[in-house]
Amino acid sequence: MKEPPVEPVKYVDANLYLPYRYVAGDYRARFFAAMKGKKFLGSKCSKTGKVFVSPLVNSPESFAPATEFVELEGRGIVTTFCVVNIPVIGRDLQLPYVAASVALDGADISIFGAVQECKPENVHMGMRVEAVWKPDGERTGSFDDVLYFKPTGEPDAPPESFINRL
Amino acid sequence: MTQLRNIAVVGFAQAPIVAHDAHRMSQEMLYPVVREALAQCGVERDAIDYQTAGSADYVDGRPFGFVAALDVMGTWPPRQDSHLEMDAAFAAHYAWIRMQAGECDTALVVGYGKVSEGQPERVLNLQLDPYYLAPLGLGPLSTSALQASAYMARSGATDRDLAEIAARNRAAGARNANAQLRTPASADELQRTAWAVEPLRQGYIPPIGESAVCVILAAQGKAESMTKQPAWIHGVDQRAELQTLGARDLTRSASARLACEKALAMAGLGGANDVDVIEMLTTNPVEEMIVRDAMGLPARGDTKPVINPSGGPIAGHPLMMTGLIRLGEAFRQLSGTADGHAVPNARRAIVHAGQGHALQQNLVFVLGRERRWS
Repeated sequence: MKEPPVEPVKYVDANLYLPYRYVAGDYRARFFAAMKGKKFLGSKCSKTGKVFVSPLVNSPESFAPATEFVELEGRGIVTTFCVVNIPVIGRDLQLPYVAASVALDGADISIFGAVQECKPENVHMGMRVEAVWKPDGERTGSFDDVLYFKPTGEPDAPPESFINRL
Repeated sequence: MTQLRNIAVVGFAQAPIVAHDAHRMSQEMLYPVVREALAQCGVERDAIDYQTAGSADYVDGRPFGFVAALDVMGTWPPRQDSHLEMDAAFAAHYAWIRMQAGECDTALVVGYGKVSEGQPERVLNLQLDPYYLAPLGLGPLSTSALQASAYMARSGATDRDLAEIAARNRAAGARNANAQLRTPASADELQRTAWAVEPLRQGYIPPIGESAVCVILAAQGKAESMTKQPAWIHGVDQRAELQTLGARDLTRSASARLACEKALAMAGLGGANDVDVIEMLTTNPVEEMIVRDAMGLPARGDTKPVINPSGGPIAGHPLMMTGLIRLGEAFRQLSGTADGHAVPNARRAIVHAGQGHALQQNLVFVLGRERRWS
């Protein structure tokens, strides 16, 4: 066997460029439009009445269509949460910050967001929070229109009110 | 031949192929199609043992994009699932294997993808090797044209032959409500269209299209109660060729030939002439000629089996599901539900599906109205 070349080409660079333009989709387009008006839009399962936020075309659980839309205010309960001490790609947040699962009032599944305006050690399950929106005129109809959630100061929600929405 | 289980296609639904669905994401397109296929069979999702999908994350532009389909496939309570980064017809073959192994009696097979959201020529370039071929910028249209050029030189096929095959498919597509190109076009008209990549003209190749497709398979004992006329799978085989294009004879498809021979042998048939209808995943007239040749049929002119009565991929080619549509079309022909493009008295069908550049991978099913094994 001949020896390989003394100075072999060790690597071949390949830079992939694949542009996409996603259709938001009927349900997502409605959800984003509602955010401009400081509302969360959900869809209701035609079989069980469960409300999904963001809206789903069908209930993954019952498999029935979810054709009715429901508007929700941005208030809810912290169900589960974690305290993030590592930098997060694409987000300019001061560390540590709290990433929380928030069960909105009237919704049967939770959405995710940051909890601010309180110390991380004070965040707890059952804490009542509300959405802090971008000011009027600055909302574009995107998920970034919600800056974060902050505590409302209301009494904690009892565990039985959210134990099935974890 | 070892005794195998009788397994049939019992349901098929598809969204009409369109250039671009501006309002719906792939899940929104797929959900009603899955519901329709289940409704055809008169069952709910709990009647399905196993599910599998064919799609490509690069086509969707979403890493792990296949998981998005789970919510609209009736996956809950947790169901056995798998996914192939291939045309969904290959997923149907995989489901058939799982059913032969006795692991399940019913399977739901889907294909989906918003092909219009990305640039398929760019995406499929990445299927080529990254050292020699991909950097040249070749897409499937260019490799198809290389193949067409080679085939025409060997066989003497002319531009006119290509135009006539395209025109036949376009005329058939006009009778299929789910086709994308629904206006017939004469060979003269098509021969006047501009070169896409010479020797392939714009009129010989399909536009970008997207759809959502669901096929339901069921084994003997379940299939009979799910549809009036199951399309029983009599034989199936799948073969792949080399990745190195230069190492292949591009003017012939050795893999399509072998897959067809093996599938026909499993079906107990002597040749492709023993069937009434053939649906093949051929995206230009030269691919059709090469696959016809591989099946032992004349490359041009009329054949006893009717080829692509649906209009075939030339009338609509939603990448990653075009092959599964061929299987669904065979079911429609054999079950008497093909409506405007029905082949009278069709009793047996061949389905060909492919994947990769220049007919690299080939899958052949043989189906019939009667059960294969007693």
